[in-house]
Amino acid sequence: MGPARSSGVGSGNSGAYTTEIAESLRFEEEIHSIVHPSLDSSPAAGGSFTALLGLPANQAVELLHETGPSEAPSSAAAPSPTGELWRLRLGEHAAGPLHLPLGCSPTFPSNAALVERAARFSVFAAEDSPELSSGGGPSPRLKAEPPDSDSPPPLPIPTEKTQRPAKRKECEKSKAKGPAKKSKSAEENTVAAPKETAAENTDGEKLPYVHVRARRGQATDSHSLAERARREKINARMKLLQELVPGCSKITGTALVLDEIINHVQSLQRQVEFLSMRLAAVNPRIDFGGLDGFLLAECGPLATANGRGGVALDPALWSSHPVTANGARWLPQPQIRHVDVWPTQQSSTAWTRDGAAHPHALLNPGASLFGYDPASSVSLNSNQLKTEL
Amino acid sequence: MEPKSCSGDGNPSRNLHPSKPLMAANFLRCLSRIQQTATNSSVGSRSRRIRRAAYASMAYSAGHRRAWSWALLRKLRCRRVRPVILPRRPRIARPQVVIEIDRAEVLRKLVPGGTGMDYCRLLEETADYIRCLATQVRLMQTVTDSISS
Repeated sequence: MGPARSSGVGSGNSGAYTTEIAESLRFEEEIHSIVHPSLDSSPAAGGSFTALLGLPANQAVELLHETGPSEAPSSAAAPSPTGELWRLRLGEHAAGPLHLPLGCSPTFPSNAALVERAARFSVFAAEDSPELSSGGGPSPRLKAEPPDSDSPPPLPIPTEKTQRPAKRKECEKSKAKGPAKKSKSAEENTVAAPKETAAENTDGEKLPYVHVRARRGQATDSHSLAERARREKINARMKLLQELVPGCSKITGTALVLDEIINHVQSLQRQVEFLSMRLAAVNPRIDFGGLDGFLLAECGPLATANGRGGVALDPALWSSHPVTANGARWLPQPQIRHVDVWPTQQSSTAWTRDGAAHPHALLNPGASLFGYDPASSVSLNSNQLKTEL
Repeated sequence: MEPKSCSGDGNPSRNLHPSKPLMAANFLRCLSRIQQTATNSSVGSRSRRIRRAAYASMAYSAGHRRAWSWALLRKLRCRRVRPVILPRRPRIARPQVVIEIDRAEVLRKLVPGGTGMDYCRLLEETADYIRCLATQVRLMQTVTDSISS
């Protein structure tokens, strides 16, 4: 059937679709006759075949209709790449039907090509109709294939492909649409879609590396790959920075974005200086310690990580302490760092409980002249601070 | 230290940082200390001290994980030991032809610890520094607002 098949391919090349369809129908009949005897030898694989052949031949015809018009422009290149693509699909989705033609080939060596073709059709017959429509999808992509992909004869290539998908199934995670092309062409010419391995050309074993697909026209050596990874890292960081800096997302161009970032950092630093001057100029008699202890109560567990030692604050002690201006337990500032681990649920109650107690207890001796009023205002402000925080 | 995010930073790939309450506590502690120690100094010196306190509290909250906080802390510590007085040399005005501004260099000067980093790392540190600075600014704004109101 070799000459018959090549003649079939030749007729397909010449663009006579009807002859191809007729031949496919003929192939279907031959396959029927071939495969059924083989069912006894390999029941497991045969089951798949019967399932595949359960679908009528018009699906294969439909498929041919789909691929036929797309094959017209690149008549020479189309059938075999599609064959390889289908072969690849075959290998990817089910190893069973893939092995079957190989298994059958010893028994029917003359029909190896036929069986491959049948397997090809049957894969599409078995799969859903979206698969069929997507079968037409990749074929326009294959037009971009260099014509030299067709130069090796179609017959050895499918057998080669059978080994490749089996290997690739181990190391590939994504759908294998076109790594077959990669293995043939030195330079990767595929569209940048899913992530595939680039190093698979060199090493067919399992790879722990990140699989990156090179885009069209890009080199695949290790240097450029590393550089590309680095560039992508930098681009990701730049995007993060753009999100941080307000008004930066609209700007295009690295230089302007960097300018904006620099401006933003400078403005923030200037703001810190300005605010610090304001804080220095503000009324220095305000008791910062009250605010300090107030906030400290909330972030007690975090403050312990600071490493500064001190006495543990007892919340009950604080609340029960009478509110007095003088004579309160004034603990030196650096010591009130170590706080008990406060459960976060209690923090809200602790606020209200100790908000009144703390400012009085932590009064500076110098600031004890305040009395109640500033302290109460401080506690009020502390509440405000808490809400704003 | 456990980083707790209260600033609403929606960046999933970064640490949940800065921890706002911790920064607030640090800063207020420094403020109270400044208030204690220098009640009669000038506004200028106090503001300088407050600014240093702000940066110090920021760096403390950031911890040692970040290069910029580490460099900032080192700078602050050294500064506290002795104030550096640079010998002034008359600068000879050299004709400088600046064709292109190296923005990376400018950024390196701005971000503490930026001189010894590659570009990729510099961007990362800048992002973190910006986040921390923004938190610090917001904190100081809140404090001044609450005090002056």
